[in-house]
Amino acid sequence: MVTEFVKNIFRFFLFILIQVAIIKHLELGRFINPFLYVIFILMLPIRMDRTLVMVLAFFSGMVVDMFYNTMGMNAAACVFMAYCRPWVLNFYSPKGDYETSSKPNIQSMGAIWVASYAGTLIVLHHLVLFFLEALTLSSFFTTLLKVILSGAATLGLVLLSQLFMQQRRQR
Amino acid sequence: MYGIIAFFRKNYFVLLFAALEFLSLSFVFKDNYYHEAGYFNTSNSIAGSIYTTESNISSYFSLKTQNNQLVEENAQLHNLIAGTGDTTKHPKVLQKNPYGQQFNFMTAEVIDNTTNLLNNHITLNVGKTQGVVSGMGVMAPSGIVGIVVNVSDHYSVVMSLLHKNFQLSAMLKKGGAFGTISWKGGDYQMALLSQIPMSEKVKVGDTVVTSGYSNIFPKDVMVGVVEEFKPIPDQYFFSIKVRLATNFKKLRYVYVVSDLGKQEKTDLEDKTTKEEGH
Repeated sequence: MVTEFVKNIFRFFLFILIQVAIIKHLELGRFINPFLYVIFILMLPIRMDRTLVMVLAFFSGMVVDMFYNTMGMNAAACVFMAYCRPWVLNFYSPKGDYETSSKPNIQSMGAIWVASYAGTLIVLHHLVLFFLEALTLSSFFTTLLKVILSGAATLGLVLLSQLFMQQRRQR
Repeated sequence: MYGIIAFFRKNYFVLLFAALEFLSLSFVFKDNYYHEAGYFNTSNSIAGSIYTTESNISSYFSLKTQNNQLVEENAQLHNLIAGTGDTTKHPKVLQKNPYGQQFNFMTAEVIDNTTNLLNNHITLNVGKTQGVVSGMGVMAPSGIVGIVVNVSDHYSVVMSLLHKNFQLSAMLKKGGAFGTISWKGGDYQMALLSQIPMSEKVKVGDTVVTSGYSNIFPKDVMVGVVEEFKPIPDQYFFSIKVRLATNFKKLRYVYVVSDLGKQEKTDLEDKTTKEEGH
């Protein structure tokens, strides 16, 4: 239990640092801005209290906003994502609900489950984020394309990070 | 009373969601319209020191390019002093008004910069201690860069020209027609010059410079050159695409511009309002 707690704190700092120090400065074109730090919220324990998840999501969003000079945008997106998480978890729950030992990672739930669970939440997060960034519907399709392409990039990075962490565990 | 408590207990999750969203969105809108001085941005000491470290490391890899740029700028300044250079190709560092030097230029180093977002910001390693205040202009040797929006003791955050809310008065060097320069996202090398009346003559390759009306930049600082223009149907204005002179991906050393006359003017205004108050 304690180690899980420490792991989550470690993930919080690690992925936010990767986000603001490396990914922010990657130049992948105007449509691709991945937000890998959401992996912290995605990987919080399945049975964690949803209120706590929401508060942690708000906090991590605010920290990223601080580094992006986008006061409140990531926070709003993360809170929305945390609000939807219980329903998404419920929607993708296996027959007979989750095992007590289940974790939201590839090792425990399989790649397809992680891709659909993470993919859904990432799209919801990016929808809020990029439409708040544009703050207008006049560039609707440009913004939507940004959501889709950046979402795909984020999901790819999430899966890669999980595989990487899994390999380290097995070694 | 019990009804209210029961309601809160039953709906606390939705209520918390609403409260946190309201808080976040109020930050978003407040930031979008007022740009109030706050510390929850890259000008604070945590973000500032992380980006200083990062830029210290990355600066080693671009030393040669930076040296070349500085040498080039030096040469341009020598030309300017000798009076042989074309003054539109570089900033007017030595611009004077009848009362002496009007603009002061302070060097600063870019420690953080993006070009691939819709709202790009630049963080500089100078702040209040060095005399930077919100509203000052920032320019590179090659042209304008942005406007300071947030200042802490040792750092400042600049709204890049590459920000959807950026607007600055600019003019065509030839003909002197005034317009507004802005950026709508996308290509980091292209900006939009609007409000140039269709009665004006515009040519591809024409130079666009600052107008000096805003008291942020001196007059005639390079913005870019006209790349493409077309009339807006049903309006009397051109929509002009401008290729920016500044390469935003290679920003390293910039100048923070302060208008000395502006300070004098605001001081005088403050004094006047104080005296009228008595």
